[in-house]
Amino acid sequence: MAITIFSIMIVLLLLGFPMMIPLIVGSFVGFYSLFGGFGQLETMVQQILAGIRPASLIAVPMFIFAADIMTRGESAGRLIDLVMSFVGHIKGGLAVSTAAACTMFGAVSGSTQATVVAIGGPLRPRMQKAGYKDSFILALIVNSSDIAFLIPPSIGMIIYGVVSNTSISELFIAGVGPGLLILLLFSIYSYIYAVRNNVPTEPKTSWRHRLVAVRNALWPLGFPLIIIGGIYGGIFSPTEAAAACVLYALVLEVVIFRTLDLKGVYNTAKSTGLITAVVFILVGAGAAFSYVISFAQIPQQVLGAIGIDEMGQIGVLFVISIAFFIGCMFVDPIVVILVFVPIFAPVVETLGIDPVLVGTLVVLQVAIGSATPPFGCDIFTAIAVFKRPYIEVIRGTPPFIAILLSVSVALIFFPQIALFLRDLAFAK
Amino acid sequence: DTWRYAFEEALDEVQGIFAQKFKEEIEANSDHEVQLFPYGTLGESADTMEQAQAGILQFVDQSPGFTGSLIPEAQVFFVPYMLPQDTDALYDFFRNSKAIHEMFPPLYAEQGLELLTMFPEGEVAMTTKEPVTSPEDLDEVKFRVMTNPLLVESYQAFGATPTPLPWGEVYGGLQTNIIQGQENPVFFIESTKMYEVTDHITFTGHNNFTTAVMANKEFYDGLSEEDQKVVQDAIDVAFEHILDYQSNLQEEGLAAIKEAKPGIEITVLTEEQRQPFMDAAASVEETFIEMTGDSGKAILDQMKADIEAATGS
Amino acid sequence: MNDSEHHDSQLQSQTETTTTDDEELGAYVSDLPGILGTIDTAISRVESVLLAAGVLLMALNTVSNVVGRFVFQSSIYFSEELNRILIILITFAGISYAARHGRHIRMSAIYDELPTKPRKLLTIIIALVTAVFMFGLAWYSFQYVLTLQSRGRVLPSLQIPNWIIFVWVPVGFLMTGLQYALTAIKNMIEKDIYLSTNVLEGYSNDEMEI
Ligand code: NA
Ligand code: NA
Repeated sequence: MAITIFSIMIVLLLLGFPMMIPLIVGSFVGFYSLFGGFGQLETMVQQILAGIRPASLIAVPMFIFAADIMTRGESAGRLIDLVMSFVGHIKGGLAVSTAAACTMFGAVSGSTQATVVAIGGPLRPRMQKAGYKDSFILALIVNSSDIAFLIPPSIGMIIYGVVSNTSISELFIAGVGPGLLILLLFSIYSYIYAVRNNVPTEPKTSWRHRLVAVRNALWPLGFPLIIIGGIYGGIFSPTEAAAACVLYALVLEVVIFRTLDLKGVYNTAKSTGLITAVVFILVGAGAAFSYVISFAQIPQQVLGAIGIDEMGQIGVLFVISIAFFIGCMFVDPIVVILVFVPIFAPVVETLGIDPVLVGTLVVLQVAIGSATPPFGCDIFTAIAVFKRPYIEVIRGTPPFIAILLSVSVALIFFPQIALFLRDLAFAK
Repeated sequence: DTWRYAFEEALDEVQGIFAQKFKEEIEANSDHEVQLFPYGTLGESADTMEQAQAGILQFVDQSPGFTGSLIPEAQVFFVPYMLPQDTDALYDFFRNSKAIHEMFPPLYAEQGLELLTMFPEGEVAMTTKEPVTSPEDLDEVKFRVMTNPLLVESYQAFGATPTPLPWGEVYGGLQTNIIQGQENPVFFIESTKMYEVTDHITFTGHNNFTTAVMANKEFYDGLSEEDQKVVQDAIDVAFEHILDYQSNLQEEGLAAIKEAKPGIEITVLTEEQRQPFMDAAASVEETFIEMTGDSGKAILDQMKADIEAATGS
Repeated sequence: MNDSEHHDSQLQSQTETTTTDDEELGAYVSDLPGILGTIDTAISRVESVLLAAGVLLMALNTVSNVVGRFVFQSSIYFSEELNRILIILITFAGISYAARHGRHIRMSAIYDELPTKPRKLLTIIIALVTAVFMFGLAWYSFQYVLTLQSRGRVLPSLQIPNWIIFVWVPVGFLMTGLQYALTAIKNMIEKDIYLSTNVLEGYSNDEMEI
């Protein structure tokens, strides 16, 4: 059954059907064959709604809204001018700053989709103006946002910790090493890209100009303060920080800068709603499809067939990586963690593999899989927000995926990349 | 046949242990196979409940607290200081309660469910940043509770600021101090690592987390008498197994927490210290009756009678 | 698309700074004749008002909850449930709005390479198949709402029946299905290829092509 469904889905996808249709048709066929008819399709509707419902998803439309207001107004431009005044003269400086900003924002907000909008939204036009190709920019934004899975607080780590009974604090610390390593490699790639494509640099700015840029950005600097200070300082949950950003953006753009009137606010809200709907219906359809996979116990069957019990430590780590990578290509990461972790738990325990290492590897694969076609919320968000064709959004992805995959291989052979900081912090 | 059974916890947590025992018994004593679906693999609690009602799942474990939006009377398990604090009396109550064995099944039947059993999962403890010995200590403490009016009311009465936060945000919320406390049984505090982000575990005796296992009624009624007996026997074996399993669970959980975090402060409040909490929470019972009317009151009264019988014996 | 073309469109789009543009979203006037057109235009208005209001209310609700917790030491107990209602509203008012404006995400790489005739045929098939599945989901979600209604579950905090938050679902699927059905009809009648009832293929530069 699984092979039939996957084939139908890929054909529909390639023919140019709206992305929700392959997922919905896949679920229809799945429900039909599981329950011998259409008698249980109400549960399919239930699962679509269950995918849309989680409270933590509210942060996404809120950050989209805030970012859209900032971008239509002046806040975003002033913040970017500030960054540019410091890095504009460095080869690849803007790309590296974008990667770092995506990582940072994603880490703190906990939402990679919100990152694509909040950081990618304002920075993409500036990078285009600086001479980067759009396919590179889009891939950079999507992939650096996904590094955030590895940097605390990470919802993926929390769920892995709960399901596998592993210390979440240790997982948090273990993710930092690989996360920063990936950011470093992305930065190196950005630099090489800028050199090879001869992306021009701006002349170095004087300190006087930089001071002006700082002064212009004083109000908008409230945003990083609200987000970073607010969340790490224990004032806001990520969702609330998103709402606080909306409020602050409205105050700045409507009252202080006066760049937006009420009609403008209304239109911004409407376009936020549209982007949210286009992405969330895919999240919902994806949830219904995940249900079919999970209910039919397809992962168990596949893993049973390849005989994981007879493999050594390295082999098992490779199988885990590949399983999560493939799983996250098609299905929402959270569901993949919930379904796969218990399946692998016995063999991980028998072989005595450090569960923190496994957790780091799992979350890394989740990050990679989320940026890998065909199914990926960040890809969908980029398409909806930037109005670029699907193929254009993923065209620049391969080098990034290659970097990510080599880090996961490195992690399997040199676990210290993840465990070094953990051992230091917990004196192991 | 293949029977499907979903529950709200991981495979190695209390509901999972119960389910595994049930599966083992069924498969040993019949030709049926049981597939287990732990938390999240088929959706959240409300989803699996609907699936059991629709007959996609044959068995489902859902805590009465979550069932409260469907069967309001089931929220009686959130009335603080109602269940016996003594273990033997508690088990006695669950084995013999007329409310559980006679009054609840028809209420579940109305929802298309055959109530098979209810069992306790362990005393609910508070984990907090600061020590708690009296309601005053909870003043201005933002305390995470599940979205349930009785729990909100209870913690308001205890003097805290009840803060409904989605479960996924609780660990992070404690770490960054958005909230300063949450409540759960010890095994859950251990498995979800809540102790990593709090410094005090306090036993106030206000509740024992209760859960229920049920079957789709149409499915159950359609079983042969023989199969029904296999199910009932498996439930009975799993029930005794889970009580037995729990006898050391709290101690082991606390020991594991203590080993992972030696600085953790574990406090069991004395009778005198508990009294102000009991006094404060007395009003919650009235709220429950207001919410559920005569049928709720009848259940409450019967439960009290059952408990008296259990503690008296 | 080859590299030089790509470079051109890139230059074109360099001047665009906002993430979305109001013009296309604001000025929807139905192409349908007579009373049908009036109804269609009116539905579009309602959808856009619901979309914007949903987002604004969500922001208001979430902000109020934060303010409440800090200033009055008390959370809005129903805040999370209200947001759930709004997110369903936004999603299901939004999917038909997106269908109307040809904004649903698709992978059009192969589609774009086809000659005009087969592409038109494929457009009609895609629109019809999509419409059928949307109508199917409208029907089953309607059944789902009825089932929920019969079970009488309530929202824990608001204590209102929980089926109410899902009433938008069948309506949203139905409206989306209608948009795709109309798109199919439009493509059968007209000579050009239409991505939605009033978005002509290639109508704007490829910035719009999703
Ligand atoms: Na993170
Ligand atoms: Na993916």
